[in-house]
This record gives sequence, C-alpha cells and structure tokens, in this order.
Amino acid sequence: MNFSSIGYLIREGFKNIWSNRIMSLASIGVLISCLVLTGSAIMLSVNVSTIVESVGDSNVTTVYLEDDITELEAVYVGKSIEKVDNITQASFYPKDEAILAYKDVLGEEVFVNMSGDDNPLPHAYHVVMADLSQYDKTVEQLLKVEGVNSVSSRSDVAEKLTSLNTLVTMMSFWIILALAIISLFIISNTIRMTMFSHRFEISIMKSVGATNSFVRTPFVIEGVIIGLVSAGVSIGALALLYDAVFKAVQNILPLDYVPFSDVMWFIIIAFTAAGVIVGALGSLLSIRKYLKKEGNEILGW
Amino acid sequence: MIEFRNVSKVYSNGTHALDNVNLTVDKGEFVFIVGASGAGKSTFLKLIMHEESPTKGAIIVNGMHLEKLKRRKVPFLRRTMGIVFQDFRLIGKMTVYDNVAFAMRCIGKKTKTIKKRVPYILELVGLKDKAHNKPSELSGGEQQRVSLARALVNNPEMIIADEPTGNIDPEMSYEIIELLSEINKRGTTVLVVTHEHELVESFGKRVVRIEGGAVVNDTKDDDVMVAI
Repeated sequence: MNFSSIGYLIREGFKNIWSNRIMSLASIGVLISCLVLTGSAIMLSVNVSTIVESVGDSNVTTVYLEDDITELEAVYVGKSIEKVDNITQASFYPKDEAILAYKDVLGEEVFVNMSGDDNPLPHAYHVVMADLSQYDKTVEQLLKVEGVNSVSSRSDVAEKLTSLNTLVTMMSFWIILALAIISLFIISNTIRMTMFSHRFEISIMKSVGATNSFVRTPFVIEGVIIGLVSAGVSIGALALLYDAVFKAVQNILPLDYVPFSDVMWFIIIAFTAAGVIVGALGSLLSIRKYLKKEGNEILGW
Repeated sequence: MIEFRNVSKVYSNGTHALDNVNLTVDKGEFVFIVGASGAGKSTFLKLIMHEESPTKGAIIVNGMHLEKLKRRKVPFLRRTMGIVFQDFRLIGKMTVYDNVAFAMRCIGKKTKTIKKRVPYILELVGLKDKAHNKPSELSGGEQQRVSLARALVNNPEMIIADEPTGNIDPEMSYEIIELLSEINKRGTTVLVVTHEHELVESFGKRVVRIEGGAVVNDTKDDDVMVAI
C-alpha cells in the first residue's frame, strides 16, 4: 500500500464518521460514559490500595513487657526480641516516653501523679515485622520470650482495608469487563450501520479486485477515530471529575489520596489503548461477515 | 483466457445450474454467451469471477486455477478482468471521474497515475466532457459507457459484460457493442452475456448458447465443421 492509498483510506474513515454522524456521536457518548466509569473504578481502586499500603507501612507492633521489669532488664529482653524470626527492628519504648502521649488527655495534675515511679505503663518495644502475613506466628514466638507480657493486636483497620481493597479490585475488574463488552458492542453496531450504507461501494470494491484489508481499512479507521475521540474527552472529564471529588472528600476524610497527576500518564496510555483496541476490534467484528459475502449477496439481492 | 473442463455446479438448494460444461475462450476473442434466463449464464459468470466455486471440474481463468484458488488470491484474479453490469453499478454521489478513479483507488494505484489514466479512458469511451457530471445526469447509454470505462481503467486482460444492453435503448445498445468490439481489437478478450439475439447476429462474432446448464451450440465448432 502506498501513501496515496493510506491518505485516501484515512479520508474515507473520516468521511464515514461524518456521513454516519448521529450514530458516531451516540457511540462516542456511550464510550465516554464507559471510559469515565472505568476510570472512576480505577481511581477508587488505586486510592483504596494506597491507603491500605500506608496503613500497612506503619505496621509497627508494640510488644509490652512485664510490669516489674526495670529499664536495665528490658535491654536484655530487647536482645531476645531481636533474635525472633521475622523481626527486622526492635526499638525500646520506655514507659516515661509512652506516658507523654497521654499528657494532654490526662491533664497536668493527673499527669504529675502518673509520671516517674508512679507510671502505670509497662516498658515496651516497637518492633517491625518483615512479613505481615506471618503476624500470628511471630506473635506466638514473641510471647515465649521471657519478660514479654503481651503484644498489641494487629490493626483492625488494616485488616478491614485489605479486604475492602480486594473487594474494590474485584468489583472494578468486573465493571471494566462489562463496560468493555458494551463498548465493543456499541462500536461494532455503529460500524455495521456505516457498512450497511456503504454496501454498494463494498460490492464494487470487491468486483474490481480490492483486497479485504483495503475494504476493511476505512471502517477500522472509523472505529479507531471514535475510540480516540472518546478516550480524549474521557481523560479530560475524568481529570475534572476526580479533582472535584478529591477536594470534597479531602475535607470530610483527610487521608493521603492519590493526586490525579500521579496516575495521569497511566490513564492517558490506558484510555488511548482501550479506545484504539475497542474501536479496531469492534469494526473488525462487524466487517468480517461482509467480507465473506460475494457479489450480490453483499447487496442483499 | 478461460477454460472450463467438465464443470458442473449444483447449488446447496439442489439446483443443477451447470452440467458438465466444456468451453475454451482464447486470449483476444470476442464471444457472446446467449441463453434464456435460468439457463445458467449467471452461474457461468459467477464461476469466472470466483463468486462461486464449481462443484466438479476445473476452471482456468487468465492462468489461475480457480477450483483451488486461495481466498486471498481472489482480488488478484478480479484485477485481470473488468466487469460491466446490466444496471451499471455506478456510485450515485460520485462524479463520472470519481467513479472511474474509484476502481484504481481500490487496487492501490497512486493518485498521480490515476490523474493520468482516468481522462485517457474517459476520452476512449467518449465521455471526456461529462467527467464532472453525476451518473444521474447521464443517459442510460452514457452510464453504461462510464461502467465500461471503470471496467477498462485497470487495463484488464478481459472484459466481462453481463447484459450490458439490458437497460438501454436499442441504438445505444449497438453503440456499446461497437465500443466493446473496438476494445477487443486492441487485444482485450471480451465476453458478452446477453439474450438479445438480433444484436448478436448483426455482429457475426462467436456465439455460445447455453440451455439447461449445458452448452448446446458454439459457432466456433460450426467453423471447425465447415473447415472439415
């Protein structure tokens, strides 16, 4: 195929869209809705997993020592704790430091009575585990260490967020799949209509010896253009929408949300690829049956 | 060149369209194929264009064995033949020029080549002045000449005209056959399918008569008989 042909086929693709503009517009609309929904699902999923990860990062577990352990004894216990498998770090957390956290809550007067020798808190170690999934086993071992009284339970929030993350990811996957199928169907229907209105030209093309790929190309280009336009509009719409939601949610529940710019390139590439693939595939699906026909069959005579 | 060897065609609905047809058309010949409707003329043409495959027998068209032709080779078979339809099959929204140029576009010819070739062909069929008219602004005879120009533009080895005079006035019919005859003189094989006996007789070319799916008469054989 030479440049004249490529130019011609691309022009034909654009002409197809224009001559079938109502349907093209409708399918662009549906595609945009699908892509924005897909994007929302992706953004929700990304945010949930980021929040889960940030909670996971602070996976500091507190190991409380027996009440009567002195600071000196605590150093020895600390050495034993460090030897436990899966513990990467153990830092001493003296009770004098721990009580400071309660200073504001208790009020100056009560605090004075609770500091020094009257401190009711035990000494503790903050430990970091290499692998959180080994949590239960590690805790079992820690409790065997002499001088260890108890271990703080794993953050419930982290656990719940992890399961939420799985749920959101699963749901996003199915939503995206369903929307992809809908988009494919819509595009292939639009192309089918263009093709139907061009069946006469197609029959002539075949009778003068156009190859199947030549007949196919303008329709594939039509599908790809619809896909690309939809992707472009969707990226913009998603950016604006996300920004607005981002600000609103930040006020209600201030967490470390992912800013759109962090995922912008991923979204641009993913949407563009999705638009091109869905557009091309949709048109290929509908043209297949036309290309199998010969002569008057194409015209339905 | 066309060669049919013991060709039979039975459609999936059980219709025996052609029955053991043997026929050879040499390069540069002008042949009329005549027969009543339903005799098998259309099937004959569809087999040549490879819109249908034979149930039995071998078909060779312009050096290609059609009974074992691969799907992706079909377009290249069709490029060796120009087809003229009874109903012209012109694209209404395109000008005469674009209709002819379309056939060149379809096989990937360069715009430069198209710009040179189309006016030449339009002049050949006497439609240079109508290049920028729409088909609907032309008479039946003129439309058929556009159709012929489109068939010729890719310089095929063979022109197949399916009832080319079916939709036009008798005088115009004569003109179209004259034009085909002119093209034939330049070395292109011409195959005209028609049921108009008078027209056929007045030209004195080879006539192949098909009836009930079989070749019942071929004037070429008569010549041989006379020669003997």
